[in-house]
Amino acid sequence: MGRLKKLQQAVTTERNATWVVYTPESQLRHPVRLLRTMWRDLLASRELAWRLLVRDISAKYRQSFLGIIWAFIPPIVTAAGFTLAKSGGVVNVGNTDLPYPAYVMFSMALWQTFVEALNGPVQGVAEAKAMLARINFPREAIILAKLGEIFFNFGIKLILILGLFIWFKMPVTWSIILAPVALIHLVMLGTFLGLLLAPVGGLYKDFSMGITLATGLWLFLTPVVFPVPSGEGVFGTIVKFNPVTPLLVTTRELATTGVISDPVGFWIVSGIALGGLIFAWIVYRLAMPFVIERISS
Amino acid sequence: MTISITDREMLEKPQDSEVVLSVSGVSKKFCRDLKRSLFYGVRDIAGELVGLREKSETLRAKEFWALKDVSFELRRGEALGLVGKNGSGKSTLLRIIAGLIKPDTGSVKVKGRIAPLIALGAGFNPILTGRENVYANMSILGLSKKEINERFDEVIEFAEIGDAIDAPVQTYSSGMAARLGFASAIHTEPDILLIDEVLAVGDIKFQSKCHRKLSELRQQGTSFILVSHNSQIVLGVCDIAVYLCKGQQLQFGDIYSVIFQYERDLFPNNYEQELGTLSRPEKIPSESNGLDIIYLSFKDFQDRQIKSIVSGQAVDLCIGCKVHKPLSNIITRINFYETNSGSSPIQFLSNYNDKKKIDLPEGEHEIIIQMPYFCFKPGIYQIKIVVRNNALFTLDHVESFRFQVDSNGSMTSCEFYQPHSWKILSY
Repeated sequence: MGRLKKLQQAVTTERNATWVVYTPESQLRHPVRLLRTMWRDLLASRELAWRLLVRDISAKYRQSFLGIIWAFIPPIVTAAGFTLAKSGGVVNVGNTDLPYPAYVMFSMALWQTFVEALNGPVQGVAEAKAMLARINFPREAIILAKLGEIFFNFGIKLILILGLFIWFKMPVTWSIILAPVALIHLVMLGTFLGLLLAPVGGLYKDFSMGITLATGLWLFLTPVVFPVPSGEGVFGTIVKFNPVTPLLVTTRELATTGVISDPVGFWIVSGIALGGLIFAWIVYRLAMPFVIERISS
Repeated sequence: MTISITDREMLEKPQDSEVVLSVSGVSKKFCRDLKRSLFYGVRDIAGELVGLREKSETLRAKEFWALKDVSFELRRGEALGLVGKNGSGKSTLLRIIAGLIKPDTGSVKVKGRIAPLIALGAGFNPILTGRENVYANMSILGLSKKEINERFDEVIEFAEIGDAIDAPVQTYSSGMAARLGFASAIHTEPDILLIDEVLAVGDIKFQSKCHRKLSELRQQGTSFILVSHNSQIVLGVCDIAVYLCKGQQLQFGDIYSVIFQYERDLFPNNYEQELGTLSRPEKIPSESNGLDIIYLSFKDFQDRQIKSIVSGQAVDLCIGCKVHKPLSNIITRINFYETNSGSSPIQFLSNYNDKKKIDLPEGEHEIIIQMPYFCFKPGIYQIKIVVRNNALFTLDHVESFRFQVDSNGSMTSCEFYQPHSWKILSY
């Protein structure tokens, strides 16, 4: 009986099965079909992404002694270092509207989340190389799994942030409810850039090395360990036009003071991040078969 | 060389089952220079992104055709063998069919779900348990959690893992991990299964289990593409075959004719062979190892040469050989294979096992294996013969010698001939 039912199911799926065609011409020649398959694959990859996420996280923590504490350590170490340097007068940073150690720790947690989003796609492609080269699964799943990991890590950091708010008795306004929205925009910007680099990063090692170097410098062009500079100098201008600045600063402001200093900048960069993400997604999809062709034979 | 129109018309004889895979005029370029290959990759991506890329018929510097103008069709429930030497483009073709890489010319049309059996344990994480890995691996292969739950017990049972399923995969033996990968791949129940050189997983018992599972799947309507350079396996599983050589499709058609050509190309000094007899030209001295097999034949009890054997009759297998220098302790090993099943021999004979010492002086000799009752059931069989000296040094070998066994008239429901006689005792 069970077999008969199975057979009937097989017959129905057979009727539903449609032809899939692989041709040399660019998929951009059929934009509607491309968008439709992108949407279909995004929906189809949710469950796989969840599996990959669970796999990666459990493997990561099973092989570690300190486990989730690793999510806390970098912001605490950075904050301790800069607080010492500041109190010793080694570095001269302006006054922040929050207690300085809390300011650095909170900003560092946000910055780390951005960097994870930036590195995520390149790392994801590198880690999944063997799988990519052999199985045709929705490529979106790798990216979604990485995004999930970023939010999971942020969730852990939230414990640290909560502790900060209590320890330093920081005031909280209702605007904190909106802070996750700004955070999502920050992650979106990072994913946009990372996703754009992921295909070529799969071909050339230069990109992953370059990203590490670039983020090291970028940190000092973003108001993470110092407040937003008010000056009109070269440095002030660079920091102002740094796309991470409005997103990171707005997230921080929403979570603490509730006063947004640069709403226009925030919305412009958010728009760029969203549009860019969709563009980068198309690039990623179109480019991956060529990357797979070159990374394995 | 591609198949001509008349060949193709012959192949497309009317069949009631529908076409599930159609490959037409597919070519693919490759480049062996890494730096240049990566650069071409970037250029291809750029072409794809501005939408200009279409089929490209010309080669760039340092490129070659990994595949050139390959065409064939696969129907529901059919098994196709893809044979060719290493580097002939077999795996590349599989990857194009799987949709992993794009063809440079031509098109591939697929109906239904394709699953690769090329990916044994891809995505297995050594830290995680077998259970967790099966779930991850099967979802990569496209199954939902519900579908995996339904099949999980079957997978474990098939893989013969038992309680080890909750231990980390890094504690498994290589055979266990491969079995688990194979089991989870084979239980995805696709419409088309791509199998790349993986049927040699595990011990003989597991292999025969895999073959059983594959034939079960075929009866349910799954189509196969099997890649192998072992013609034994291909003959055992497939009905049609494609023969690739340096990316060119030399032949597409009936399995026997394709394998025959493949083996003739592989062992050019082995044939001309027809069923039941084989004679080889003399080797040139530089290729000889001191003993050359020059002919193989069967003789009946009256010493007449016969083309085919009748089940239950007496027969002598004669190995004609020419010896160039005196040899002692020759070991002759003969494997018998059934052409329509598996890769393991059904009979093995060796004078070493039979404690029969063979020493040969210089000159021509005939080694005769006398079989008073030939017990195989009717069918086509193959023999592989290896002649060795001191167990390690191969003097000469015959890769495949094919012969036919005919029925004696009462073999319709028998697996083998049992020598027997009837006798009545009355008291």
